[in-house]
Amino acid sequence: MSQHDYSDNIKLHYYEGDQSKLYSGVMNHHYHHDVKSKESKQQIGRIWKVFWILLAVTVVEVIIGMFFSHHMPKALVAFFFLALTLFKAGYIVSVFMHLGDELKNFIIMILIPLTLFIWFILAFLMDGHFWLHMNSTVPVR
Amino acid sequence: MAQQATAVTTEQKLWGGGRSPFNVSYGKMMMWFFLLSDAFTFGAFLISYGTTRFFSAVWPDPNKVFHAFPFMGHMNLPLLFVSLMTFILIMSSVTMVLAVHAGHYGDKANVQKWLMWTIVGGICFLSCQAWEWTHLHHQGAWWGSFTDASTPLDMIKGFFSDKTMADPAFAAGAGLQSTHDFYNYFFTITGFHGGHVASGVVLLIVALINTVNGTYEKRGHYEMIEKIGLYWHFVDLVWVFVFTCFYLL
Repeated sequence: MSQHDYSDNIKLHYYEGDQSKLYSGVMNHHYHHDVKSKESKQQIGRIWKVFWILLAVTVVEVIIGMFFSHHMPKALVAFFFLALTLFKAGYIVSVFMHLGDELKNFIIMILIPLTLFIWFILAFLMDGHFWLHMNSTVPVR
Repeated sequence: MAQQATAVTTEQKLWGGGRSPFNVSYGKMMMWFFLLSDAFTFGAFLISYGTTRFFSAVWPDPNKVFHAFPFMGHMNLPLLFVSLMTFILIMSSVTMVLAVHAGHYGDKANVQKWLMWTIVGGICFLSCQAWEWTHLHHQGAWWGSFTDASTPLDMIKGFFSDKTMADPAFAAGAGLQSTHDFYNYFFTITGFHGGHVASGVVLLIVALINTVNGTYEKRGHYEMIEKIGLYWHFVDLVWVFVFTCFYLL
């Protein structure tokens, strides 16, 4: 009974409850006290800047989609839209989700599985295209 | 910043336990892992859509399908409404980031303000999506629609571009089949996304109530706002991809 190590109990509470005291640097490594400080205003400015970038890119995409996409080769349209979408995604993930502010190994851990997606997308789209080709060109016996 | 200094010195101290090797809390890291898994789910849906589309001889033209705007009657305004929806969601993402920023500085009043605006944005988006669904449903679209082979072509002509309709495969059944496939995917994917937006709004309301009650102030940090913010940005990110795949490509 007297073998209870109270320090372990306290630690357990922190792991399972409020973690702010466990990772003493982690929770408040951003924790400053003046929201009107220059640092804070800079970050807010950065956030709005990214908003304008996202808005501009979306407007460009919609204009191209409405007026020009029918007069361009399909592959170019696809490449263009996907490139702009990835551009937007990059900004949202790195600035809005703060992934860009995390440790490098953490960023890599999140991004590497997503590169598998490139293979996933290419494989299935090529497969679909191949099925269509086979179904429309193989001669009837 | 002592944490980060230790991180670069010895491997042992980094993975020895009792600290976070990545300097993030358990909750935040798990939220990132959940978002990764959810990204795979949405990705699988979108890739499935792409495969079916590549497998089809003809496919509906988004400029023809999505040309309506609320209160504008039958005016032809291609892609305008969905652009408004995209703008609303991006705006709500910005207000969310501002709420998280306020949380970093313990600024309770601003956390409340920006959370409120994010909730408003989410509800506006859901309302727009509901209008879009209702409008399309009135044109006959739903899960499992357009399966009757005797459906006159006039019913689906409004969804295709003139160039596509000239293709002989269109009249030979591919037009009907692709309309059926298109709407199955559309309602499933936007529905699944809408479900995420709705649950996000619920979480945001809970966070707002907790903020107002001072729960996070007592705790000493607003990390819950940050975690819900990650979820909300993920929802916005998915919409960016859905918007591209369904409406632009």
